Amino acid sequence: MANYDVIVIGGGHNGLVHAAYLARAGRKVLVLERRHVLGGAAVTEEIHPGFKYSVCSYVVSLLRPEIIRELDLPRHGLEILPLDGTFTPMPDGNYLWRVNDHAKTRREIARHSKVDAEAYEEYGKAMVEMGRFVKPILNMTPPDPTSLDPRGLMDLLFLGRRFQSLSGEDKYNQVQLMTMSAVDFLDQWFETDVLKATMSASGIIGTFLGVRSPGTAYVLLHHYMGEIDGAFRSWGLSRGGTGAISEAIAGAAREAGVEIRTQTAVSKILVKDGAAAGVVLENGDYFTADVVSSSVDPRRTFIQMVGAEHLPDDFAGDVRRYKFRGSSGKVNMALDALPDFTCLRGPGTHLRGAISISPSIDYMERAYDDAKYGRFSRHPYIDIVIPSLTDPSVAPPGKHVMSCFIQYAPYHLKDGTWDEQREAFGDTVVNTLSEYAPNLRNIILHRQVVTPLDLEREWGLTEGNIFQGELTLEQLFFLRPAPGWSQYKTPIRNLYMCGSATHPGGGIMGAPGRNAALRVLKESRTRTGDRRLLSPVS
Amino acid sequence: MQPIIIGAGHNALIAAFYLAKAGHTPIVLERQGTVGGAAITEALAPGYRGPTLAHAFGPLAAAVLRDMQLERRGVTFVQPDPRLVALTLDGRALIFRRDDGKTAEAIRAFSAADAAKYSEFCAVLRTLGAFLANLVEMTPPSIDRPSTGEMWELLKTGRRFRSLGKRNAYRLLRWGPMAVADLVGEWFETDVLQAAIAARGIFGTTMGPWSAGTGTVLLLNATADPSPGGSSVTAAGGPGAVTRALADAAREAGAEIRTGADVARILVRDGAVTGVALADGSELAARAVVSGADPKRTFLKLMDPVDLEPGFIARIRNYRSSGTAAKVNLALGALPSFRGLDGGAAAQIRGRIHIGPGIDYLERAFDASKYGGMSTSPYLDVTIPTLADPSLAPSGRHVMSVYMQYAPYALRGKTWDAERDALGDIVLRTLEEYAPGITTLVEHRQVITPLDLERTYGLTGGHILHGEPALDQLFTMRPTLGWAQYRTPIDGLYLCGSGTHPGTGLTGMSGRNAAREITRSLKKKRSSA
Repeated sequence: MANYDVIVIGGGHNGLVHAAYLARAGRKVLVLERRHVLGGAAVTEEIHPGFKYSVCSYVVSLLRPEIIRELDLPRHGLEILPLDGTFTPMPDGNYLWRVNDHAKTRREIARHSKVDAEAYEEYGKAMVEMGRFVKPILNMTPPDPTSLDPRGLMDLLFLGRRFQSLSGEDKYNQVQLMTMSAVDFLDQWFETDVLKATMSASGIIGTFLGVRSPGTAYVLLHHYMGEIDGAFRSWGLSRGGTGAISEAIAGAAREAGVEIRTQTAVSKILVKDGAAAGVVLENGDYFTADVVSSSVDPRRTFIQMVGAEHLPDDFAGDVRRYKFRGSSGKVNMALDALPDFTCLRGPGTHLRGAISISPSIDYMERAYDDAKYGRFSRHPYIDIVIPSLTDPSVAPPGKHVMSCFIQYAPYHLKDGTWDEQREAFGDTVVNTLSEYAPNLRNIILHRQVVTPLDLEREWGLTEGNIFQGELTLEQLFFLRPAPGWSQYKTPIRNLYMCGSATHPGGGIMGAPGRNAALRVLKESRTRTGDRRLLSPVS
Repeated sequence: MQPIIIGAGHNALIAAFYLAKAGHTPIVLERQGTVGGAAITEALAPGYRGPTLAHAFGPLAAAVLRDMQLERRGVTFVQPDPRLVALTLDGRALIFRRDDGKTAEAIRAFSAADAAKYSEFCAVLRTLGAFLANLVEMTPPSIDRPSTGEMWELLKTGRRFRSLGKRNAYRLLRWGPMAVADLVGEWFETDVLQAAIAARGIFGTTMGPWSAGTGTVLLLNATADPSPGGSSVTAAGGPGAVTRALADAAREAGAEIRTGADVARILVRDGAVTGVALADGSELAARAVVSGADPKRTFLKLMDPVDLEPGFIARIRNYRSSGTAAKVNLALGALPSFRGLDGGAAAQIRGRIHIGPGIDYLERAFDASKYGGMSTSPYLDVTIPTLADPSLAPSGRHVMSVYMQYAPYALRGKTWDAERDALGDIVLRTLEEYAPGITTLVEHRQVITPLDLERTYGLTGGHILHGEPALDQLFTMRPTLGWAQYRTPIDGLYLCGSGTHPGTGLTGMSGRNAAREITRSLKKKRSSA
């Protein structure tokens, strides 16, 4: 008799969401987390006394509203504070500052270009339409286009019909969004270089692509999807840091009966007769279960934990081909005071949103060029937030925490190792920022540099990819994580995938964990009949 | 009906032929003094003739060859063997032969692992190319209101797709959006082998090997010729001999061809085409006009904007056709000798010569163009047409035809007229590294910049494919969504050039597909008139 119905490998936000849904449906679930804290990359730690860093993931963008609702996360302590605006300082002393207030943003853009101010409205409307089209796809299990399974055909037909119901102009936009580069797409709408540069930046986050690389336009949509839900702004901070999101989900999971063990590293997945039967821990202990769900990436899951000997050759090849190629790093700082930007002095509200070092398209593109040939960007793209301005609980009074997301930091360096390059990388970030905010150098109390190698070693993100695998077209939807295996199932019976490496991918969204849970429930229902009374999950 | 066809490039001539066969009497109006568009053979210097622009065919579609009986008209096609020689900086050469087995043998000198995989790669490319060849021949379906016929075609395509088998079906879905550098990286480890194959994904485009979607360009090219190194088909007398024969076939079928007839305006009344106005002020009336010119030239230059919807004009403006290819033609006093090819070199370089020894090299060449500069170490696609047809030059002398990438049409802070010589120098300096001493052989040099491509040959933005073959500008989106069926918002105005599906360069498929749709449409018109 198995100890558990389901064992979930990894206590990141997806693993926890997955576990919570299964437990609510009556399953006996065990979550195993390797680190001492839950949350995976959605974690807050006090690295420097008194300062709480959201070490990896630092803003919430797309946490699915149905998950917030169904798991009743606010009751478990989730509070999302809106993060308003994006401030882009420029080297010539000018700046671009967009906020959620449309009239204000319009005036600000008009300062750069009147035409663009007009176009910005139109653009926003068009993107909201597009977002409406894409949203249901996030909750969908991708169909298999190569099978004759009627369900898959129906799903494809559904997608086709939906697409057909769009207006001619929306179809045109949709096709462009799915295939074009962010810059090419934005070129059609706007003329202001800095506006296009800073908007296109969202298209490259976490990818090994440049703003001119085809396929980067799609992510522009994400900024317009949060707003439609009305529940919260497209970008927000979680009170207490990003880790508080994981804590809230863990709270919901525990309440539903999930057993969670930290500092419990899984080394192997037990496979018996082509089916998962449990897991073996690094200390040699083991647990058995009817179902194993892995929220870690496919390389770790299949090559390390299952072992290629249990896999069909084609599938093992696909897993080996799956691309990670991390391209980003993180620098977290404890500050004695606020940075003072030369182009807009003082501690104004421009510091309360995102601060984006993306002054021109060429700047972004050159940052990418460095990475293509195996070095970190000499002048990187930096996305900054100062969470202590919105949520004072993360720093001592009067002091601040500054989170800097850096791209590009290629996992594969041409010269040297990341451990050797760590400080040089950190210095590059500080130097770059000091060009815009010269006082920064003198107010740094502590600096934590997180390299792509750290992301791999400490957080288990293979090759430092923050999305557990690149979000490029050939690794999305029915191709994620492997052709033919996009439906959360794997060639190993009773082994499921529930992390960011499955549709719809990374970011603090929770959709993979939830979609996979629904899949497990559906399959186990047909397998064992109505063994237990199922409580509704949707 | 007497449709007017604008331009006498290969696609326009093919469209003219098929329209004439269908019982119409098309009049082809060509701005230049000769037919051929970008597929021409012209005097390069006294005693030297060569392919001014295109130097290899895609090859031309078999149906076109058969229907237009080109071989009966005296065209001798040459498919050289070896097809392609890829050179490395350290003086080695990787030779692609017609026979895949022999090519694999050549690869073995670089990597045994790559040699072992080569034949499987060839087979996959053949399978996927054959599947896509069906799509290339097809008129892209209407997105809004697919007809029963179109639904049937789609169903057939769906069945063919499934019959590819899971493995290849998924390969097709994955390869299309991929960067060609990733694609070749999944198969091979030898840099020069990767680069030679990847080059087929970037030739004529404004993309580098790391640009997503270049996998599609490779696959599209594989529809005409699935061999990994690509086609090297030429003809005795150069490409001009082929387009002359296409013109002969069209005339024989009943088309009239006028050269030196420069169409300045397409005339429209009440949303329907009424004819064309020539630059000399004369007008020709017609109820159907077929433009072989690129979409931007057709709609933005040859038309009065009041005749088109602003939304449509905006889309055509956004159609990307800024090119990066330039051409350098050389008259050489003797055959240059390439490092890595000893003895019998002449026999080995009758096909194409690829200069771009690695993926990083190609990508760096592309990088320069992103910032509006030309590559200082460019990617070159070279042929020596005199090896296939010695009559193109005085005895013992040669013509060399060089495509150079990347030379961005939109040069930043400089003009192409001022940079012409700099471009020529860069190409020669690059060639010199692989063929030492070549500079001393040059008797004459012709440099064709992207601006020349636009001014002299009418290619907007200097784009040799009439527009970027990017995922958002292909199939049902070429030139723009809703107008991929060779028709236009103007009643009686059609497109037949490379700016329409499939846009595969010198294969003639756009012209052939267009003629089929136009014939259908004219028949409907006649029966409703």
